[in-house]
Amino acid sequence: MRRCISFPHFKAVAVAGVLALIVLPVSLTVAPADAAVATTKHNLSVSGTGTVKATSENQICVFCHAPHNNYPSGQLWNRRVGTSYTPYTSSTRKSVAGQPNGASLLCLSCHDGTIALGEVRNRTTNISMTGGVTTLPAGNTNLGTNLSDDHPVSFVYDASLVAVRGELAAPTALAPPSKVRLDGSSQMQCTSCHNPHDNTNTKFLAIANTSSALCNVCHLKNYWSVSDHKNSTKTWNGAGTTPWPHTTGTTVAANACENCHRPHTAGGGPRLLNYAAEETNCMNCHNGNVAAKNIQTELNKTYGHKVATRTGVHDPAEAASVATAHVECQDCHNPHAVNATAGSVPGGSVAPTLPGSQVGVRGISISGTEVNPATTEYEICFRCHADGAANTPSPSFARVIAQNNKRLEFQTTNPSHHAVAGAGRSATVPSLLTGWTTASRVKCTDCHNNNTGRYSSGTPSAPTGTGPNGPHGSTYPNLLERQYVTTDNTAESAANYALCYKCHNRTSIIGTGTNSFKEHNKHIVGERAPCSVCHDPHGISSTQGTTLSNSRLLNFRTDVVTKSGTQAIRWERVGTTGGKCYMTCHGENHNGYSY
Amino acid sequence: MRFGKIVAAAVTAVLFFAANSASAAGIAGSKHDFSASAWSGTQICNVCHTPHNANQAAGQLWNHALTAATFTLYASSTLNAAPGQPTGVSKLCLSCHDGTVALDSFGGATGTNFIANNSAKLGTDLSNDHPISFAYTAALATADGSLVTPASAALVVAGIPLYGTNVECGSCHDVHSPTNGAFLRVSNAGSALCLKCHTK
Repeated sequence: MRRCISFPHFKAVAVAGVLALIVLPVSLTVAPADAAVATTKHNLSVSGTGTVKATSENQICVFCHAPHNNYPSGQLWNRRVGTSYTPYTSSTRKSVAGQPNGASLLCLSCHDGTIALGEVRNRTTNISMTGGVTTLPAGNTNLGTNLSDDHPVSFVYDASLVAVRGELAAPTALAPPSKVRLDGSSQMQCTSCHNPHDNTNTKFLAIANTSSALCNVCHLKNYWSVSDHKNSTKTWNGAGTTPWPHTTGTTVAANACENCHRPHTAGGGPRLLNYAAEETNCMNCHNGNVAAKNIQTELNKTYGHKVATRTGVHDPAEAASVATAHVECQDCHNPHAVNATAGSVPGGSVAPTLPGSQVGVRGISISGTEVNPATTEYEICFRCHADGAANTPSPSFARVIAQNNKRLEFQTTNPSHHAVAGAGRSATVPSLLTGWTTASRVKCTDCHNNNTGRYSSGTPSAPTGTGPNGPHGSTYPNLLERQYVTTDNTAESAANYALCYKCHNRTSIIGTGTNSFKEHNKHIVGERAPCSVCHDPHGISSTQGTTLSNSRLLNFRTDVVTKSGTQAIRWERVGTTGGKCYMTCHGENHNGYSY
Repeated sequence: MRFGKIVAAAVTAVLFFAANSASAAGIAGSKHDFSASAWSGTQICNVCHTPHNANQAAGQLWNHALTAATFTLYASSTLNAAPGQPTGVSKLCLSCHDGTVALDSFGGATGTNFIANNSAKLGTDLSNDHPISFAYTAALATADGSLVTPASAALVVAGIPLYGTNVECGSCHDVHSPTNGAFLRVSNAGSALCLKCHTK
């Protein structure tokens, strides 16, 4: 048609024709096409550089696009599309799950593995691929039609989603100039994260995901800025299983979200975790191979929080007061928040502060209401060890007053309680060692802790333990930091009651001429009765016990102590330091024995 | 200014000669040569063109009845261009290829032979066809992000003409030359034609 354009002066054309010899090369180099896609695996033509390519077809675009008579959904699509997919679902998902649409449906026309790569609409026969390949070969890029282990796509990402879901960027951030974008229907699609024509960032990512920069365009996790999982420069020592199975980053900070998560073919299903077993995602680093402390060793001990025994029970959407018995790392730790900031030193006279490992975790307050985040340790423990139906373990012994709800045992109005939720009831506790006063607060982990933890030996001000802190695992029953023998007729020793003697001066307890119960020596050393026979270490609920009979953590074990005649088993307080006992123990009928 | 005019004319002249040389031996025997059909009067050119009394508004010495259809336009969430109803040379092409005007409606006659139902019949629904009749400007290239910046108001790159500033059917197709198949202006081996504009 251009030959029909009229020219006013042939002479001018002739002159111009000569000049064209000079001008033409210039016009050819004005804007050369940048055929970036030709250098990627998405060049399925015979000139492709990947292993999956055509035997002779030389057109690149044709595998996806055609200029005429194509699939009528934009992008001039040249392919048949799938019809039925299993979408991603999750208990925490707020966006609406549905079948893939828009550009995502187009991507899936190869990446679901059901439609031949060479099946294009403008050819009557399929384009032949080398090696007899038809559909996309098995591998990470073949997502299948089950998308439940893939990041959701084809959902509306709007302000209301952000408001309901939280921890998401405003949709206005997902528009140009951002290269991470929603589509024209405000929907998140494959193409939000991937640019199928440009593999500059590998995996056809819209922007490089170093330090999870791509993830963080949308996901703004609370506490993330302080998390060591974002900031740590720790590297893998090369031992054991690689902690980074699908990424190339060599530090924790470089992998960031992908230390634990993967957006496609995730082992962990709805959480999009690397592995289905929750703790496995943690333990490939926290086994001494990346993180400074080896938690795996602690978890392997006989007694502990056995995170490996259950999989798929923990649910981030579960109630703060846990209803189904389980324990996973995430019940006590928020992996988006954790950091190495030290908690407060045991003892002293101020309320304990949480270590960085417990930042951003939900809890149950001493009054039984949800707190988010917990501000003190026992609130986290109360998730399971208080009102929840998951409350385990059962009490170790039958006692006169039975109570297994730790929240009730630690009420500050109780006749006695270890000083967990508030200072203890006694104005004088003469056995306390240096560093501890009647104003001190006790943390659950002062007693229940790894038996190699920082404070497992030495003193609070000069600890000598070298293992990690926290109630992960112990060689001692009930996950105790130190030995606490409860067998009747046990010879007293510093070692057998090491847990009690951590804070309570052994000399003061069993020595003579001290202010402690003067018959301690007779009972513990002479009669070889363990501490637990008389003392209930957590506390006695005010709804069950009385100041008269249950001060001093007195609540007798009924497997050792029996009645004196028909009288109720009891101790009665007399003054500040005296008392009377009504029971039979070790064959001795204490019918009102007093001191 | 004068030099600029000559340079512009020079570029156009190259295209002029190139188009001539490519198509001179082309249309005869191609699918656009209807001289074997009785209704063509055994001529090649006059189905579309006439040297006298042509449709002046249509230009190109146009001799064929023009389509009066209203077309459904291509749309896409990622489309930055603004296609309008087909204009210029595209409307001439669609006067056969939309299937609403008979092939033999030319020279004032109303014919009865329509384009066959095959891939060349685009219909009036152009939503599944590459957009046309939109201005391809530097601003469009910038907005899209993966389009080559046009070399001039008349060219995308060498060999890919614009009409005014518009992309039309004739940007990709040379209706007089079947050399490259599908009347393509240049060979699309290696998707070379697509990649003239699309810097993917």
